[in-house]
Amino acid sequence: MKLSCLQENLARGLGIVGRAVPSRTTMPILSNVLLATDRGQLKLATTNLELSVVHWVGARVETDGAVTVPARNFIDLVNSLPPDQVDLTLDEPSLALALACGSVKANFRGIAADEFPVVPAPEESNGFAVEAGDLRLGLGQVIFAASTDESHPVLTGVLAEFAEDTLTLAAADGFRLSMRRIPLIHPVPQPFSVIIPARALSEVLRIIGSQEEPVSISTTHQHNQILFQLKDTVLNSQLIDANFPDVRRIIPVSSTTRVVLGREEILQACKRAAIFARDAANIVTLSITPGEIVVSADSSESGQGSTRLAANVEGEALELEIAFNVRFLTDVFSALAMPQVSLELNAPTNPGLIKAIGDDAFVHVVMPMHLGRR
Amino acid sequence: MTIRLLPESVAARIAAGEVVERPASVVKELVENSLDAGATRIDVATRGGGRDLIQVRDNGMGIPPAELELAFRRHATSKLETAADLEHILTLGFRGEALASIASVSRVTCTTRHTDAEVGLRLRLEGGEIVARTPVGHPPGTELLIEDLFYNVPARRKFLRSERTERHHTDAFLTRYAIAYPHIAFTVMHDDTEILRTTGAGATREALIQVYGMDLGSHLLEIPPELTQEQSVQVRGFVGPTSAHRADRGYITIFINGRWVQDLRLTYAIIQAYHTLLPVKRFPIAFVSVVLPPEEVDVNVHPAKTEVRFRDADAVFRAVQRATRMTVTDAAPVAAAWQVAVSAPPPVDAGETRARLAALTPTPIQISLPSTPATFPDEAPPLTATPQQPAPPTRPSASPATLPPLRVIGQASTMFIIAEGPDGLYLIDQHAAHERVLYEQMLAQWTQGGIPSQPLLEPQAVTLPLDEAAWLEEQLPRLATLGLEVEPFGPGVFLVRATPAALKTLALGDLLSDIACGAQDRTPLDIALEEAMIRRICKRIAVKAGQALSHEEMTQLIQHLERTQNPRTCPHGRPTILQISVEQLARQFGRLG
Repeated sequence: MKLSCLQENLARGLGIVGRAVPSRTTMPILSNVLLATDRGQLKLATTNLELSVVHWVGARVETDGAVTVPARNFIDLVNSLPPDQVDLTLDEPSLALALACGSVKANFRGIAADEFPVVPAPEESNGFAVEAGDLRLGLGQVIFAASTDESHPVLTGVLAEFAEDTLTLAAADGFRLSMRRIPLIHPVPQPFSVIIPARALSEVLRIIGSQEEPVSISTTHQHNQILFQLKDTVLNSQLIDANFPDVRRIIPVSSTTRVVLGREEILQACKRAAIFARDAANIVTLSITPGEIVVSADSSESGQGSTRLAANVEGEALELEIAFNVRFLTDVFSALAMPQVSLELNAPTNPGLIKAIGDDAFVHVVMPMHLGRR
Repeated sequence: MTIRLLPESVAARIAAGEVVERPASVVKELVENSLDAGATRIDVATRGGGRDLIQVRDNGMGIPPAELELAFRRHATSKLETAADLEHILTLGFRGEALASIASVSRVTCTTRHTDAEVGLRLRLEGGEIVARTPVGHPPGTELLIEDLFYNVPARRKFLRSERTERHHTDAFLTRYAIAYPHIAFTVMHDDTEILRTTGAGATREALIQVYGMDLGSHLLEIPPELTQEQSVQVRGFVGPTSAHRADRGYITIFINGRWVQDLRLTYAIIQAYHTLLPVKRFPIAFVSVVLPPEEVDVNVHPAKTEVRFRDADAVFRAVQRATRMTVTDAAPVAAAWQVAVSAPPPVDAGETRARLAALTPTPIQISLPSTPATFPDEAPPLTATPQQPAPPTRPSASPATLPPLRVIGQASTMFIIAEGPDGLYLIDQHAAHERVLYEQMLAQWTQGGIPSQPLLEPQAVTLPLDEAAWLEEQLPRLATLGLEVEPFGPGVFLVRATPAALKTLALGDLLSDIACGAQDRTPLDIALEEAMIRRICKRIAVKAGQALSHEEMTQLIQHLERTQNPRTCPHGRPTILQISVEQLARQFGRLG
C-alpha cells in the first residue's frame, strides 16, 4: 500500500471515525483504525462491535493495500502534523506503516487488516432517505430524552418508527418523553420500527454536521442492524432488541390549563432558577396565574430566586402551581427552535405536555415533581 | 415430711449462692470492702483460679477488734444504720451479706488492725464457724485469705469452670476497677505471676495503658469533664476512637457511682452514639463512669449489685449518649493510612463544646440525628444575619470534626480521590464519601418534611419474594415519606409510581429488595427504620467505584463532604477518608530517621 493525501482531510476523517474506538477493550484489534485503499480513495474504519464508522478520504493511491494501526497514536500524530501532504507507505511483510509529512517521519507497527471485524455493507433493497436538515432537527429534539441508565437498556435507545412517508423518533428515560415526526423522501412499503442506541444517533448527529445532502438509512434484513449513509461516511449500529413502551399512551390528550409563552424567555428563567435549584433536588416551581407565570426555585441552603414572565394563559383552570425538574425543562426548551412554546397542564400530579407553536410534529411529555411530604 | 425452720448454717449456705457465685464474686466483694474501707493500695492474689486461694490485702482503716466477730455475721454492716440510708447509698457494700456468705462456703483467715488499735487480730473461720482468734502483729489494714472455696458445697464446686475461665472473670473485674479507681494502686497476682500493677498516681490514662496496653490505651478519647459538669448526671471516662472497634460488646464498661454495672440500656446508648461511625456488627470500646446523686439510683436490685435502677433512666441514657457522641465526633481523627501511630486527638475547645451543649439541651431530640441542621435552629448558618449584628464568635457550621481544606489532585483507579491537605495526602473513597453526603442531605430533607420525589411516566412493576413483599407492604406509607411511591399490585408485585428525586437509576426492583432485606436483618432497637431505608437508597444513588469523575465533580464532592456532620465515615461505618502525613511520606522515602 502506498498513497498520499492531505493532512487536513486525513485529520478530519480520523476525527469522524475516532469516536467509535473503544477506550477499554480486551480485543487489541478494536483499538486500531483500519486504513485501506478503496476505489482510488483511502478508507478509514473503526468499530467497537456495537457501532462502526467508515469514512472515505480523497487520496492519490499508487498501490493498493490495507493495514490497521493503533488509533490513539495514529490520530494524535496526524493531528499534530503541519497542513501538508501525507505519504503513507506500508511495508507488507513487517506490517509497518511509514508516514512522511514534510520533515516528519514516523513508523507504526500494524496488525493485519483481515483481523479487523467486517463492517457490513448497506443492503440496497430497503433503503430510505431523509433530508439531512430534518434528521438533524429530529435527533436534536429527541436524543437528549434517552436514558443513560444501563439497568433499562431499552430506554437507552431511540424508537424509530418507519410508516408510509414518516419517520417517528421517540425517546423516554422514565420521567419524560420526547417525540418528533420527520418526513421520509420516499414512502416505505412496509411499516416497521426499530430501537437505535442513542449513543449511535449522537454520532450520526455529530457526523451530519452541516451536511446538506440527504442521508440514506437502511436496515439489515432481520432488522438487527441499521446503516446511515452520509456523505463520505457510513455509520453502522447494532439495534436494541426489545419492546419499547407504548409512548402514545403516555401523551395526555386534554388539558385544563394551557400556557403560551416565549421560548427564549422561559429558557432563561429556568436557567436562572437552576442556580438555586441545584441545591434543592433541581426543583423549580411554575406558578401560573392569568396572564403570567412565575418560575422560581428555593433552596433552604443557598437562597431563592424567581422570574416573572408574561404569558397567555387559557383553559378551565387559570391558576396552577406545579413543580418540575429544571434540567428537564432546560433540555427541552434548548432543543426547540420555534420562538413560542406551549405548556399544557392538568393537575400538579399529572404530566405536562410541551409543544412548539407552529410545529405540530414535536411533542414532549414531562412528569412533574412532588415536594416531600410526611 | 415435716416442715421445719432450716438451721442457720444451711440457710446461710443457700443464701451464699446468690452473692458468691464464683471466685470472681469473692474478689469483687472483698475489693469493694477494701474500697469502702478507704484503702489506697489493694493487692489481690489467687491460686488455682481462686479455687485454692484468694488473698485480698489492703491498707484501709481495718476492723476494730471488738467488731471482728460481728463482721462475719449475716446482715452485719458498718455501712448502713437505718432503712432510710438505703435511699442514698454512697458505699459499694451495704447489705451485710458478703463476709458471712463467703465465710459459710470456705475457710477464711482474716487478719486486721484497725487504725486506732495497737495490735492486729487474726480470726480463722471454717464454714462460718470461728475456729481460732489470735492477736498478731499487722500493719493497719485488712488481709483476707479465702481458702478452699466451696469446699463444703460440692455442687457449686463442680460447676466452676476451668482455672483459666475463672481467672478471666476475676481479671475482667479487677482491670475495670483498676481503671475506675486510678488513685488506688492495684496489684494482681495469679499463681505468683504479676498480671496487673497500677501505680495509684491518679491518672486514669495510665491505668488505661496498663489495662488496654500502650497502643489502645493511649488512643482512647477522654470525655471532657466539662461536658456534663453542670448537670446532675455527670459522665466521665474514655471512649474509643472510631478507628478502634471490637466484635462484641465486651469492651463497653459502665460504672455507676463507682460501681461496675451491667446495664443493657446504657450499653446501647454508647453503641447508639457510634451510630454510622463504626462498620456494621462492630462495637465500640468505652469506659464510661456515670456519677449521679445517690437518691437517683437504686442499687438494691440484686444481691450481686450488678444491676441498678434509675429514677430517670431516660435522662441518664441521653447524658451518656450525648457525651459519648460529642467526644467521638469532636475528636475523631482521620483514619491514618498504613496504621502508623495516630496523632494525638486535638484538644477540645471547652467553651465551644459548652455552647454546643447549651444549644442541645433544650431540644428533646434523639441525639442520633445530630446531622439535621433544621432541628438546631441556633446552629443554622447565619444566612439571615443583619449587617449591624456582630459576627458570631465561631463559625457555626465548622465543628471540630470537619475536614481540613482539601485540594483535589486527581482520581486513582477510578475509585479514590487523591487530595492534598495542610498536613499531608488524603485519600477519599468516592463511593463512601458520596454516600455520606447523600445520606445527610436526604436525612435533612426527610426531617424537614419529606424527600422530594419524581413520578415516573409509567409506573414500573416490581416483583419481590413473598416474605419481602409481605414486609414491604406494611411499610408503604413510610416509603412514601422517602419519596418512593409504591402501591401493591397483586401477590408479590408492586407498582412504583415515583422515586426519590435524587435517584438516577430505574433498577427499582433491586432497590426495593435491598430496602426490604436490609431493614429486616437490622439489629433490634437499632436506628429508625426510615434511616435504614435512606441508607439503602443512598447506597444506590452514590457514584460507584469505577466511575470516572471530572475535576469539578471531585471538588464538589469534597466541598459537600466538608459540610457534612460526620465526614469521616460512610453511613455504614466504613471510613471515607485516609490520611498519609507528610512525615509518614518523608519516612517512607528515607528522609526521616
